[in-house]
Amino acid sequence: MTKGALAAVLPAEALASGVAGGALAELEAAAEAVVRPESTDEVADTLQWATTNSVGVLPVGSGERLPKRSVQGRFIVLATDRLAGFEIYEPADLTLTAKAGTRLSSVNEALGAHRQWLPFDPPGVASRTLGGLVAMGESGPVATGYGELRSHVLGATVVTGDGRVLRLGGRVVKNVAGFDLLRPVVGSRGRLGVITSICLRAFPVPAVDRLLIFRAADVAGLEDVARAVRTAPTMPASVVVWAPTKKPAGEAALLVRLHGALPTVDADQATLQRSAGVVFESPADAAGISATVRDHAIDAAVGLRMSLLPSRLFEGLAAARDRLGDIMIAADAYNGSARLAAGEVDEAALVGLRDAVEALGGTLTVTRAGDGHAQPSLGSRPNSAERELAERLAKVFDPEGVFWPCRA
Amino acid sequence: MSAPDPRVVKRLGEIVGPDHVVTDPNRLLVYESDGLTSYRVSPRAVVLPGSTEEVAAVVRLLHGEGIPVVPRGAGTGLSGGALPTPEGVVVGTARMNKILEIDVENRLARLQPGVINARLTEAAKPYGLYYAPDPSSQSTCTLGGNVAENSGGPHCLKYGVTQRYVTGLTVVMGGGRVIRLGGAGRSPDGALDLVGLFVGSEGCFGLVTEIEARLLPVAEGVRTLLGIFDTMEAAGHAVTAIISEGLLPAAVEIVDNATIRAVEASVYAGGFPVDAGAALVVEFDGTEAGLDADADRAEACCHAAGASEVKRATDATQRAALWNGRKKAFGAMGRIAPDLLVQDATVPRTRLPEVLARITEIGERFELNVANVFHAGDGNLHPNILFDRNDADELDRVERASKEIMSLCVEVGGTITGEHGVGIDKRGYMRLVHNEVELKAMAAVKDVFDPDGLFNPGKVLPDALTGETIRDPAMAAR
Ligand SMILES: Cc1cc2nc3c(=O)[nH]c(=O)nc-3n(C[C@H](O)[C@H](O)[C@H](O)COP(=O)(O)OP(=O)(O)OC[C@H]3O[C@@H](n4cnc5c(N)ncnc54)[C@H](O)[C@@H]3O)c2cc1C
Repeated sequence: MTKGALAAVLPAEALASGVAGGALAELEAAAEAVVRPESTDEVADTLQWATTNSVGVLPVGSGERLPKRSVQGRFIVLATDRLAGFEIYEPADLTLTAKAGTRLSSVNEALGAHRQWLPFDPPGVASRTLGGLVAMGESGPVATGYGELRSHVLGATVVTGDGRVLRLGGRVVKNVAGFDLLRPVVGSRGRLGVITSICLRAFPVPAVDRLLIFRAADVAGLEDVARAVRTAPTMPASVVVWAPTKKPAGEAALLVRLHGALPTVDADQATLQRSAGVVFESPADAAGISATVRDHAIDAAVGLRMSLLPSRLFEGLAAARDRLGDIMIAADAYNGSARLAAGEVDEAALVGLRDAVEALGGTLTVTRAGDGHAQPSLGSRPNSAERELAERLAKVFDPEGVFWPCRA
Repeated sequence: MSAPDPRVVKRLGEIVGPDHVVTDPNRLLVYESDGLTSYRVSPRAVVLPGSTEEVAAVVRLLHGEGIPVVPRGAGTGLSGGALPTPEGVVVGTARMNKILEIDVENRLARLQPGVINARLTEAAKPYGLYYAPDPSSQSTCTLGGNVAENSGGPHCLKYGVTQRYVTGLTVVMGGGRVIRLGGAGRSPDGALDLVGLFVGSEGCFGLVTEIEARLLPVAEGVRTLLGIFDTMEAAGHAVTAIISEGLLPAAVEIVDNATIRAVEASVYAGGFPVDAGAALVVEFDGTEAGLDADADRAEACCHAAGASEVKRATDATQRAALWNGRKKAFGAMGRIAPDLLVQDATVPRTRLPEVLARITEIGERFELNVANVFHAGDGNLHPNILFDRNDADELDRVERASKEIMSLCVEVGGTITGEHGVGIDKRGYMRLVHNEVELKAMAAVKDVFDPDGLFNPGKVLPDALTGETIRDPAMAAR
């Protein structure tokens, strides 16, 4: 029925199936239709239809890493895979505009031909779509050296829940023409609108990408070196604390990346070694090892994100190991956030950890819910004023509440 | 302007102390405008609270009486953002100038909004830290104003603008409610980037009473180059070549011939050749070891683009000398004409040479003196129009030339303001970049924060979308 109704507003190609498996396949089975629009206008038509007919909409990018969630009521899946390709790439402007379904891997390939790249390295970055990246708002640890994703999204076309098309920001690096409605869209996880096109700032590829490693028997053994690196008078590209899941490996490592020209990187390494009083290993395959660490345990049953001031990070990590046992830790030691991955986690342990992290002034959220007790609702919440404003803001963008996960 | 109810003035005095309520018309004069002096409106009163609690009480009282609040920092804004509204009371942050904490280990500062930008960097210096965004007005403008305008500065090419550095805010909202947004080390579930949205809201959402901001380690070394070019076009090509080399300078700034002449005719004269078409300042900072190599490559780009001369500074004194022509440009121009309109627009960097040529053509056509000083690395232009506001015909030509310049910048993919904000001045240009649907969405978002429309009404959004409008007194003064 839904499919028939949609056929009246969309071309046949937009309703042909073809999106891949995984968590998405399960959703497809539950959805009334999968819509694959090719243009902003088709997205707008779809959303207008959904608002008029009170049907929920689940926007998906690659769909590869969709966490399991229970979706209630009537809904359709809106996939952005046909919204792919570059719109404007002017290397000398160091900006790129592309459609939201474009994969990061193909973006970086095109940029690479001009020795440029997008400095973001969240887990699974290569297979992410630009839209998914921006919707999730995760920069990854290289934000230390380059700044967060949120400050590099220069513009986007966003379709609101009721099908209005908003062209927010622009394609210049400085722009204060009116209230910055783009900021809350970045990281809103599909709650405010479907992003159809994005303009991002690109950066020159550094001449040298050097990885420095310091190993310790456990995470606690990294603390002093991490603090020394974090407070040294130089800015690395990233500082990551890593401890893999499975015992007996058990070993922990601090991974520091330095980007720049050769003399700069040599001097920065010397500065860090002097500050920390250690000599780092420097393996040949910096990019490969960094990618392994970045994507490790990406499909674990339960994913958590812990945020703290960097000075409290190790207390938080100790609390996590205490309460959750054998978990994978990948923490950004410069900004104090950590990705934790585990098998099942029981509710009491999770709530206990959340309370402990909040007592340290931080937050704990569930990014991948398992089949068991680790449900998103157990995570730390914004304060009441922030919640109230977020809800009212969501109403501006999505008056009828068609977007998942707002939908009850 | 109508004098405020004496009862309200008395209550305000009880909250902040009678000395901190200004109603004497002579003392109100300085609050009549911000840095855009062609608009002037006398406020009903100015209140200078000393704490978040006092701001909350003041806003509660005023909003209870239906009186709009116009937040004000140092009044250096260049778009009329802090321009009083005839019915409103100005709430100034001058007394809220304390740096509350420098958290050295986490590289964070917590401060009140009236802290002067340069003072924060000064206070952080003993710890080897500094605050990156550096508007050219940094010795006088406040952090509260920077947050409200999302201010930039010469070094934002490499380091980004204010938004990137603000991690948390305490805000007094409509009716005097105090709320906290964000905060470093927190990212709760379902949070939206309200801090990012608040930055750049030009005093229209609420009054910021506390700011948490990131600090960076001071760079170990700096190299500054000054390239002299026969033509603006050649300087523009040098910029494109430097960026295409994969270099990431901290700053890339250009001054044109008209500006060079103004500077050389002033007390700030720095020995620039007055017949040069353009002077280009390029600065690199970071680890000492790599700087000379970067500077060498940039210097080669300048020569290849036809520079007649390239000077290099390696110490602070030489550096100050090379920057002089850029930094003193506004002051020098103030000398040669009674009024100066500092325009602000951004274009994609590669379009700079073409846009500058067309701005020159527009200036000539309207018989106006236009001098360009700008953040070339960001494509952020400041065409400065020199004029005399007592000359009605010239004033009219300034208006028309400004509009053409704005349309031109938008036409090549740019925007109507890169860092000075919309304020009162650019509301009329908002429709060049945003359609009705987008403007309505902005108005709806303003409504989310300020449902009664009592914070800085009549700013940012074009007339039909705002509440109170600034009427003739201001426009007549133009
Ligand atoms: C010579 C000169 C050079 C300049 N160079 C630059 C530059 O390089 N880059 C740049 O970006 N700008 C520049 N400016 C513009 C100006 O200095 C900035 O916009 C600055 O941020 C304004 O700060 P202020 O304290 O003077 O704010 P004001 O002018 O007093 O106010 C500006 C706006 O902020 C609001 N506001 C102020 N305080 C608060 C608060 N606590 N809460 C909420 N809203 C508030 C006001 O209502 C108003 O809308 C320059 C100005 C001059 C005169």
